[in-house]
Amino acid sequence: MSDPDYAPLPVSPDTDHSEENERYHTFVNLALALSAVTGIELVLVYLPLNSIFITTVLIALSVFKFIAVIAWFMHLIYDKLLLTLVFGAGLAIATGTVIALMLVMSRSYVDFDAITAF
Amino acid sequence: MSDTASASHDEHHNLIVDNKKLLMWLFLGSDCMFFGTLISTHLIYRKLYPEAYDPLTVFSLELTSFSTFILLMSSFLMALAVSAMHKGQIKSFRRNVIGVIFFGLIFLACQVYEFAHFVHEGLTLSTTTFGSTFFVMTGTHGVHVAIGIFWLICMYFYSHTGKMDVHESAVDVEVAGLYWHFVDIVWIIIFTAVYLIEYI
Repeated sequence: MSDPDYAPLPVSPDTDHSEENERYHTFVNLALALSAVTGIELVLVYLPLNSIFITTVLIALSVFKFIAVIAWFMHLIYDKLLLTLVFGAGLAIATGTVIALMLVMSRSYVDFDAITAF
Repeated sequence: MSDTASASHDEHHNLIVDNKKLLMWLFLGSDCMFFGTLISTHLIYRKLYPEAYDPLTVFSLELTSFSTFILLMSSFLMALAVSAMHKGQIKSFRRNVIGVIFFGLIFLACQVYEFAHFVHEGLTLSTTTFGSTFFVMTGTHGVHVAIGIFWLICMYFYSHTGKMDVHESAVDVEVAGLYWHFVDIVWIIIFTAVYLIEYI
């Protein structure tokens, strides 16, 4: 009698796994790319370059990592467009909120002395 | 599969996408807003009160980079676990999930160590605005990681019951994977916006 713990799940014999096998190589390449980008970020902050340039590059690299994980690891490019729209709507509201708050809550708009007076 | 069973199966899946996946993506969209406000609150207070605290006295970029790398690799293993489940390879699924749980626990251990170090250095939730926003934001992320680990442990033990169905379980694992990857992408933003930016 076979051990049920180690029996493979019932899969149709005509199931095509070539797509999953292709994705495996994509996942390996992506994991390597993400590790490399994290290493670049780490080195970048110690380089004696213009701070605006470094900040811009760091944001760009973060966005790349963010999109790469969503697109491939989370299968968004393989899934229906509706899922992208659903998540994109939440992400757009979140990004808009962050940008709006960062702009509004700056020293030039906030009466800083009035706040600290309390 | 009989017609009745097939009809019952279709009731749980709309014609466009699986309902479980759709709900998870909706939740993740709302969680984006949640973390968006936490991160922006931290950055705003950091900008308004730059003299409140110098985080470079307590930050350890080596430790945080290691945590980031660990979380990225756990995401990779999670993607492999989902792929294994789609192929019905239960042993491979279990191996990868154990890896994800192990890496998740390492990440949490690093966070606990970091928090303990900060408290030892005098930075607590109530000492400065930096401490308040930092601990709330990273602590909330840590709770998300802990929930993800608990979920995966449950899934691992469930795989030993012999009740797993290849279609339903593949969707369940994929939904758990979405949650785990989301925890990873939130950390990608926190790593840059909270840690790396301080070193420039």
